[in-house]
Amino acid sequence: MSSAKVEAYARALVEIAQAEGGLDRVEDELFRMARAFESNDQLRATLSDTTIPSERRQQVVEQLLGGKASATTIQLVGLIVAAGQVRDLPAIIDVVVREASQGKSQSLAEVRSAVALSDDQQKRLAAALTKATGKPVNLKVVVDPSVLGGLVATVGDEVIDDTVRTRLDQLKSLI
Amino acid sequence: MNPVIALLAAEDPNVTHHWLLPETGEIIYGGLASVIVVGALVKFAGPMIKKGFAARTERIQKELDDAANAKVKATSDASAIRSALGDIASERSRILAEADAQAATVLSEGRARIAKEVADLEAKADADLAAAQGRSNDELRAEISLLAAKATPIVIAKTLTDQTKNELVESFIANVGAAR
Repeated sequence: MSSAKVEAYARALVEIAQAEGGLDRVEDELFRMARAFESNDQLRATLSDTTIPSERRQQVVEQLLGGKASATTIQLVGLIVAAGQVRDLPAIIDVVVREASQGKSQSLAEVRSAVALSDDQQKRLAAALTKATGKPVNLKVVVDPSVLGGLVATVGDEVIDDTVRTRLDQLKSLI
Repeated sequence: MNPVIALLAAEDPNVTHHWLLPETGEIIYGGLASVIVVGALVKFAGPMIKKGFAARTERIQKELDDAANAKVKATSDASAIRSALGDIASERSRILAEADAQAATVLSEGRARIAKEVADLEAKADADLAAAQGRSNDELRAEISLLAAKATPIVIAKTLTDQTKNELVESFIANVGAAR
């Protein structure tokens, strides 16, 4: 899909979420959905399979997010699935999150961690990143066991990497 | 009677006047005949005999000269043969010496070539051995690195407890907040 089309879908999702109220929650849930979509091959294959009727795939989305996400989030994801744009779901959602962050005059800070962070840790981490980058951040935490330990934060073009995985890679290159 | 007949009839022809000497007439007739025969021989046979002697002398002289020449030639040939024998011996010695020198050269060159080939082979074997050893070391090192790279994350993942992971998170937050 072209970036213009991705941008168009993203603006549509933002406007719907704003109209429904609760953009903050929706963009957070969409962000988690996008990361789950990226990391789960079976989910990605199922939702991308055009031989499965779109209604069935929408049912899968509802079953997957039901009780875990707001109705607006489920409807927006179902909208993307019904439109046959599932392959670009992560890109669309990334634009949604970015625009939502810009709307709040924040920078998107995507943090990957081997373990889930507590609310307190997330607040302190957001404050630390805000202090480090000099502007408020919209913190998004992705639990990624592949980092083994530590955190890697991506704020715009800046990457702060202090993960065990990266240290192992550096050690491997030295060997 | 005829006087001659009478004369003849008067003497017995079978009776000589002396037991040793012939009759005077015989001496005269015989002497004359001998002179005539000798004279004829000297006149007619003498040149032929002289010519024959001269030819014989000449032939003998020629044979003597030929013999002398043959002797000279034989002497010369013998000298030449002796010289040739000397030359042959010398040539044989020279050829043998040359053959010995060539054999020594070939042997020396062969030894040098073989020594060089052996040295080259040893050097090549050493190089191959070193290369193989290097490859083995590299492969072993790479294999160890690969195994270590595969094993380390697994070991670390099993080693890292949630507490340790939380400590790493806290460390990150503290460092990021303090560093900027």
